[in-house]
Amino acid sequence: MKRAKKWLVLSSMFLALVLCLTACSAKDATNTQISNTGFKPKLDSKTACSITVVGHYNNFEALETEFNRFAQYYPNVQLNYTFMDGYSKASSGILSTALSSNEAPDIFFTYPWMGDWPDGANIFESSENLADPALGIDLSCIRPNLLTKDEAGAILSVPVYTTTYGMLVNEDLFTKEKIAIPQTYAQLLSACEAFKKAGYANPIMGYNKGSDLLYPLFYPFFCAQVQGNETVLSAMNAMKPEAGEYMRSTLELTADFVGHGYINLENCNELKDNYDAVILRFFEGDVPMMLATGNTVSGTEKREAKSEAFTAHPFKYSFHPVPSTEKGGYFINAISIGFGVNKNSKNLTMANEFMRFLTSTSELNQMAMAKRMVTPCVDMSLDSVYAPFGKLDAQQLINTSELGLSDAASSQVSKAGWQVSNGYMTVDEAVAAYGNIQ
Amino acid sequence: MKKSVMILGNALIILIILGLTVFYVSSEQNRIFSAQTEAFENMTVAMESVTTNYLLGEQQICNSWATYIDINSMSAEEAIDFVRKSISVPDVTAHILFEEDQGLAGLSTTARNAGSDDFSVSYSNISAFSRGFEYLREESDLVNVTRAYTNPVNAIQSIAFCCPITLNNAQTGLPQSAVLLRVVPVSSFEKKWVFPTDEYKAAEISLIDSAGDYIIKGHSFKNSNFYEFYQSYNSTTPAMLENMKNSVSGEPGILEITNSMKQRCLIAHARVNSTDDWTIVTMIPAAELDHLDINWTLAGIIAAGLLLLLVFNLTAMISFNRQLKAAVASADRANQAKTEFLSTMSHDIRTPMNAIIGLTTIASKNVEDTSAVRENLHKISLASNHLLTLINDILDISKVESGKLNLSPVSFSIVECAENLVNISQPMVKEKNIDFNFRINRFEHEYLYADQLRLNQIFINLLSNAIKYTEPGGRVCIELREEPGLTEKTIRLIYIVSDTGIGMTPEFMARMYQPFSRQTDSRVNSIQGTGLGLAITKQMIDLMHGTIDCQSEVGKGTTFTITLDIPIVEKSSDRMYLPPIKALLADDDEILLETTKDTLLSIGVETDTAHNGTEAIDMATTRKDYQLIILDWKMPDMNGIETARQIRSKIGNNVPIILISAYDSSDLEDSAKEAGVSGFISKPLFRSTLYNKLNEVLGNESTQIRQEENNTDIAGMHILVAEDNDINWEIISMLLQMHGIETERAENGKLALERIANAPHGAFDLVFMDIQMPVMNGIEATKAIRALDDSWASHIPIIAMTADAFSENVSECLAAGMNGHIAKPVDMKLVLKEIQKIKEEAKG
Repeated sequence: MKRAKKWLVLSSMFLALVLCLTACSAKDATNTQISNTGFKPKLDSKTACSITVVGHYNNFEALETEFNRFAQYYPNVQLNYTFMDGYSKASSGILSTALSSNEAPDIFFTYPWMGDWPDGANIFESSENLADPALGIDLSCIRPNLLTKDEAGAILSVPVYTTTYGMLVNEDLFTKEKIAIPQTYAQLLSACEAFKKAGYANPIMGYNKGSDLLYPLFYPFFCAQVQGNETVLSAMNAMKPEAGEYMRSTLELTADFVGHGYINLENCNELKDNYDAVILRFFEGDVPMMLATGNTVSGTEKREAKSEAFTAHPFKYSFHPVPSTEKGGYFINAISIGFGVNKNSKNLTMANEFMRFLTSTSELNQMAMAKRMVTPCVDMSLDSVYAPFGKLDAQQLINTSELGLSDAASSQVSKAGWQVSNGYMTVDEAVAAYGNIQ
Repeated sequence: MKKSVMILGNALIILIILGLTVFYVSSEQNRIFSAQTEAFENMTVAMESVTTNYLLGEQQICNSWATYIDINSMSAEEAIDFVRKSISVPDVTAHILFEEDQGLAGLSTTARNAGSDDFSVSYSNISAFSRGFEYLREESDLVNVTRAYTNPVNAIQSIAFCCPITLNNAQTGLPQSAVLLRVVPVSSFEKKWVFPTDEYKAAEISLIDSAGDYIIKGHSFKNSNFYEFYQSYNSTTPAMLENMKNSVSGEPGILEITNSMKQRCLIAHARVNSTDDWTIVTMIPAAELDHLDINWTLAGIIAAGLLLLLVFNLTAMISFNRQLKAAVASADRANQAKTEFLSTMSHDIRTPMNAIIGLTTIASKNVEDTSAVRENLHKISLASNHLLTLINDILDISKVESGKLNLSPVSFSIVECAENLVNISQPMVKEKNIDFNFRINRFEHEYLYADQLRLNQIFINLLSNAIKYTEPGGRVCIELREEPGLTEKTIRLIYIVSDTGIGMTPEFMARMYQPFSRQTDSRVNSIQGTGLGLAITKQMIDLMHGTIDCQSEVGKGTTFTITLDIPIVEKSSDRMYLPPIKALLADDDEILLETTKDTLLSIGVETDTAHNGTEAIDMATTRKDYQLIILDWKMPDMNGIETARQIRSKIGNNVPIILISAYDSSDLEDSAKEAGVSGFISKPLFRSTLYNKLNEVLGNESTQIRQEENNTDIAGMHILVAEDNDINWEIISMLLQMHGIETERAENGKLALERIANAPHGAFDLVFMDIQMPVMNGIEATKAIRALDDSWASHIPIIAMTADAFSENVSECLAAGMNGHIAKPVDMKLVLKEIQKIKEEAKG
C-alpha cells in the first residue's frame, strides 16, 4: 500500500511534468479548432484570394467573426468588410458604380427596397442567382417568406438579418416599483401612469427625428389592421387620398397615447440619433421603457461598457412588443439586410463558397446572436433580450414582405403617425393628407 | 534517511532545475521580447517618417497644381482640364469642389460612367470634410488629407489631398473659391505603405484620426474605428478607454490588445507629424516578436531524463538498500554463526580441556599407580592432540577467510606421505575396528613438488572424516593413484576416500564446504569436530587448482574424489631391483592382489597370487619354489597369522613370510612371530616399502634403511634455547634431556645474542629461538646473530620454535636467517628430525 502510494506520487509528478510541457508547446486551441458546423469545403483549401464585402454598417464584427471561422477552411482567403459612403442612400448610385469599377466588391449588402432605387436594375443585373443549384447554397434554412424571387425565379439576395419594432424595458425598475411589464394597451397606460406617479419624468421615450417617434407603437398596429385586406392595400399603394381613412384607427391610437402625456417630446428630441443616443439614454437607468427598433437593440450589448451609468449600476433589460391592443402587440418581422454576390466578381467561385458557408442555420444564427439581431432562419434562436417576442402567437407575427404594402404607402403611414404624435397634425388632417404627407 | 525523503528530495531538485530553466527561459524571453518590442516601436516611428514623406509628396503635387491654377486664374473647366492632363498616375483622379456648395458638388477629372461626358461629382453622401473647408486656408505646413472614403465617381476607397484654389467664374467674372482634391486610391497607397523589413511581415498598419476613425485601415484592424475595434475584443471601462486614447494620441508608444482572432497583439503608435491629428498605428501578433526558439522537445527530453534519473536513482537506491539489507542479514548470520561458533568452540575446547585437567588431577592423586598414570597420560595426550587439531583448524579457517592461506611447495615423497597417512589413521581405525583398505597403484613418480603439509592436511581431513563418521565394523577405503598429467612434468594425483558411514543429505551437501557446517545426526552428535575440516580442505584444493567431488547417500556412505595436478620432481631414485625371486602373495582383495603383484614385479619379484589363506597354504605346499610368501592379515576364511602358522608347519622355516596389515602391527607382533612370520609390512604397499622390507627379510643390505629411530648420535649436543616462558623452557629442556641433549636457556633474544656472541666456538650446535619474547624478539635476535663478525656465531643453525605457526611466520623466520621452523606445541619427532638434520649437515 505504501509502495503503491509512492508510485502514485511519482506517476502524478511525471504526469504533471508532461502536462506542463504539453501545455508549454500546445498551440492555442481556439485558433486551430475547426467549427463543427457540417460545412464541407468544395474548393481547394489552399486557394488564395481576397473577398470584399461592402455595406453601410460602420462596424460589422459579427461578419468579421464569420470571416475568421471561414478562414479555418480557407486560411489563404482574405475577407474584408468595407464601409461604403452613401451606400444606403438610394440616390447615391454608389453600389452600381462600385460594381462596375476596377475594385468591384464581391459581396454587397442588399435591402428589400433596393429594387426601387434608380440603379436597382443595374444592381440586380450584376447579382448572382444564389438559388442556382450549382452553387449548392442551402436556402431551406431561411424562412421562405423572407426569400424574394425575381421574375425569372432567381434569388439575388440572401437575408442575413431581420428586424422588428418594440420597446426596451428596464426590468429592474418594474421590479423596484412593483409594476408588471405591460402586456396590453391598458396595462401600458397604467404602467406609465404608475411610473409617472412614482416620480419618473419619462415613463416612456423614443427617438423623435424623422418619422420614428411612436413608430414601434402604431406601425405594427396599422399593419395588423390592413394585413390581408387587398382592397385596402391596393388603395393605399395607389396613394388614393381616400385611403387615408385606413390610417385613422392607427392615428387615433397615436393621438390617444400622446394625449395621456406620458411621453415627453422635448426630452425625446434631445436624442441625437436612433442608435447610440437612444441606447445610452436608456442605460442611464431612469427610463422604464424606450421605444426602439431591432437595429437599435443590436447595439445594446456593446454599449453596456461604454455607458458609465450602466457600468456603475447595471440592470436587467429586455425587448418587448409594444402592446397596442388589449390582445397585446405585434411582431413585425422585416428584412434588415441581405447579401448579394457580384456575379462579375474576380473571385466569384470563392464568394459563392463563402455564401454557401454563411447560409446555414448555425452560421446565420450565430451572426444574429453576435449582433443581437433577429435571425432569418426557420430555426429562430433568439437572444434572451428578444425572448418576449418568442411568446407571441402566430397571429401576432407579421411579415412585411408578405404584407404587400409599398414603401411609399408605408412611408406615408409613418410620416402621418409622426406628425400626429408631435401634434403637427390632427388625425383628421393626417387622414386627409394621405399621399402628400411630408 | 527514509526512502520517501530521498524521493521528495530528488523530486524537489528536479523541480528546482526545471523551475530555474523555466525562469531563465522566461527571463530571456522577456528580454528578447522587450528588445523586439522596442525595435517594433522604432520601426513604427520610422514608418511615420515614410508616411510623412509620402503624404508631403502627394500634398506638394496637389499644392503645385493649385498654385498653377491660382496664378493662371483658371475657370473650373480650365482647371479640371489642366489637372486631368497633369495626372500621370492612372489610378489617381482629381476633383474640384465649390465652396459655395459646401463642398458637396464639383467637377471630376473622370466621368461617372465610361464614355459619358458627365464630369460632375457630388460629395453629398460623404462626410469626409467634417471640419469644412475654412481650415484649409489657414497657413500651415500640415498635410490636408481626408479619411478613406468612397470616391463618388468610381466607388473606389480613396483618400484625397486637399488644397484651396481660387477659380475664375466664367459667368460672373468673379473669383470663385474652391477646393482641389488629389484623390488617391487607398489600394495604391497601401502598396507603397508596408513595413520596410521582412522581419515584420505579419505587421499591419492603419492610420487613424483623433477620434480613432480609420483614415486607412489594415486588414486585421476591425470596425470602422480603432477604439471600437479595441472595445470589441478587449474588456475595458470608459476610463481605461480614455487613457488609451490619450496614450495613442500622445508620444510614440506601445500597448497590448487582443485582436479578432483572440491573439495577443502589440500596437505601436506614433503621431504623424505632417498632419494635425493623425496617428499611425501598427499591429503585430506578440508571438511574432517572441523570437526565442524554445526547443520544447529538448526540454521534454531533459525533463524526462531527469525523471528517468530519479527513477534510476530510486531503483539503484532500492537495489543498494536490498544489498545493504542482504549484507546486514549476512552480517547478522555471520555474527550468529560466530556466536554459535564461539559457543561450539567453547564447548569443543572445554571438552578436551576438561579431560586434560581432570585426568591431570586424577594422575596427580595416583602418582604411585604407574599403570593408572600411564593410562591417564595417554588420554591426556589424546585430548591434547584433539585440542591442537581444533586450534589448527581454527587458525586455518581464519587464514582462509582472510585470504592469507598460502602454499609453500616443497619436494616430497608421496610414499612417505601415504605412510604417514596410514600411520596417523591407524589408532582410530584400530579403535573403531574398521575395515580399512588403502589401495595404491604403482607410482612412477614418487617425488612431487607441492605443499606437503597442506596435501597431508587434505588427505587426513577426508580420511579422518571417513573414519569418524563410519560406525564400528564399517569399511573405509582409500585409493591413491597416479594418472598422466596435463604435461610431462606433472602427474594427475587421484585420491579417493570412500566409506560405509552415515552419509550426507543433499541439503547438507549443498553447504558442506561452508565453515562450521556439521551434519546433524543423532549418531554423530558425540563425534568431536569443528565443522571446519571440509571448508579448509575445499579452500586448499581450490588453491592447488584441483577439484573435489563428493557422492553420498544417507545410510550408505560417502565417497570423496580429489584430483590434483602436481609437478613431479626428477629425483633419481636408487635402483630398486632384487635378485630374481619367486613369491606367493595372498589377499582377499583382488585389486590389492593385482597392484601388489605389479609392484613386486617392478622390483624383480615374480609373484603368484592366492585369494585366501587356504589357497595360499595349498600353493605354498604344492609348489615349493617360493622364496618369499606375503600374506594379508585380514582374510575371510583364515587370517594371515593362522595361514603363516600352517604354512610353517608344512614347509618349515626357510621361506620368509611377511604379514601385510592395514594397521599398526605392534599388537600382532608377538602372535605373528610365534606363528612364524618373519616381518611386517603396512599398507599401502609402495614400491620402496616393499623393496626395503623384502631386502630386510631376505637378508640383503638395504640402501634405504632409515635412521629415524636411531637418535643415539644426537646425544651430547649443546643447544641454546631462547625461551621466555618458564614452562615451555622446562618442557623442551626435559624432552631434549631425555635424548641426552644438553640445553641452556636465554630468557630473551638479547640474552641469546649475547650468549652466542660471547660463547667459545663450538659451544652450541644449535639454537631454538622463540619469536615473541621481551626485550628483543626472535627475529631481531636472529638478524643480529647473523650479523655477528664471528663466522661460527653468525653461521650457527637457528630453528624457530614458536606458536606463530602461519606460513608467513615461517617465511619471516627463514627470511631473518633461520634454518627451520617448528610450531608449538612441539612434536618431539619433528624436533628430533630437525636436530638430526642439523647434525647430518654439520657432518657433511
